[in-house]
Amino acid sequence: MLSSKITRKIINLGPLILLYYLSVSEIDSHFENYFEILSFNIQLIIIYFWVSKRPEALGSGHIFFAGLINDVVMGFPLGISSLSYLVVSLVATYVKNMTVNTRITTDWFTFFIAIFFSNLIFFILLINFSEIEVSAVEVSYNTFFTLLFFPFFWFLFTYYNSIITTGKNA
Amino acid sequence: MSSSRDDFGIAFRSALLQRGAAQKFSLVFLIVIASIIFFLDVYGFGFMKPVRSIINDGIYRVSLVASSPSRFVPKATGRITDLFNIKSENEKLKQALEVYRQKELSVEYLTNQNKNLRKILESDETLFKENFVLSKVLIDKSSPYLKSIIINRGSKSGILKGMPVMDKDYLVGRVVETNYLSSRVLLLNDLNSRIPVTFGKDGVQAILKGSGGSKPVLEYLPEGYVVEEGIDVFTSGKDGIFLPGSPIGKTAEEGEVVLFSESSQLSFVKVDLSKQRKEVF
Repeated sequence: MLSSKITRKIINLGPLILLYYLSVSEIDSHFENYFEILSFNIQLIIIYFWVSKRPEALGSGHIFFAGLINDVVMGFPLGISSLSYLVVSLVATYVKNMTVNTRITTDWFTFFIAIFFSNLIFFILLINFSEIEVSAVEVSYNTFFTLLFFPFFWFLFTYYNSIITTGKNA
Repeated sequence: MSSSRDDFGIAFRSALLQRGAAQKFSLVFLIVIASIIFFLDVYGFGFMKPVRSIINDGIYRVSLVASSPSRFVPKATGRITDLFNIKSENEKLKQALEVYRQKELSVEYLTNQNKNLRKILESDETLFKENFVLSKVLIDKSSPYLKSIIINRGSKSGILKGMPVMDKDYLVGRVVETNYLSSRVLLLNDLNSRIPVTFGKDGVQAILKGSGGSKPVLEYLPEGYVVEEGIDVFTSGKDGIFLPGSPIGKTAEEGEVVLFSESSQLSFVKVDLSKQRKEVF
């Protein structure tokens, strides 16, 4: 009984653990050794999906802290990833408030709007206020591949979400 | 029309200000906090440096622990492959060793000759006093935007911003951020990297600029100069920070340089403390 409660709790915390783990660990989604331009941002997909589908799984405070950790590990000015993540979270919350039932196509389209603004803010802040030089092309590729891989993660997370729902109803 | 605008306004305000059951802070509050932290960090207020240094040291350690499972699998598979390759490699190495023994004699002769010539030119002998700090690579998370690594030595070990970092004898980058117990090294292939270099028989001077990809590019070459492939590129030391003559890589097509040291394979690096006495950059 107790162990099943703990298991359920861990399953519920899955998205949060994954977000923190991806931010703090060396695991990256930049595959330059295989295909130089291939890179995508899983954190943005996680945030968008879980904020729009199950906001209680991913608190805004955690998103903020995950962004700070990511900045430290990546060497960006503190707060820039937090801002970028919070913009995605904002769009996801807005879409959730405006829509009743969404399909993958609508999620895909609204996710594009979210990452467009998120990466735009990231790029503008970095270029104008910090000494770090980033390539607009690299940011565009990253945005494109993040968008491209969204459906794959959508199905994966939808399945995981159904496991959480089943666990709660059981 | 006006009702749809109202809907937009309500939904947007709600998204910004509303706090759900599990939310302790509203989004607008966190966005404001993140913006303040960003500007405090970017404009380098005095108190931010030690704060950031402590946060960095802490998170780098946590990151090292968190990354250990992801490091173990490739290492384990790599070691098994190594076992299979080790015998044939041993044979090749024996042959190579013979060749190097022969070459060593000529290198010794050339080094002595070089020292004597430098004495004649009254050059700076301190250039040859080596003072390196060996460091372990803590994190080499590959980012699509920044190419950097974190090493386990910081200001405590005498490391300063701007110091050159070597992998064996090859230059791999320079220190761009120092904490008390760790430092960040900007690699040569990063978009922000600029190193004065020299190459070829004529000692052509150029700037090696990181491209963001795997191969940095030679810039500011003499007018009309066409770079031939396969020429060794060395640091020129013109900036007064890098030791002249540190090997970097070989020229490839279109002025690109293939680095001698593979940045994704770094485990230990050496930070050169010999030349720099104060922070640069």
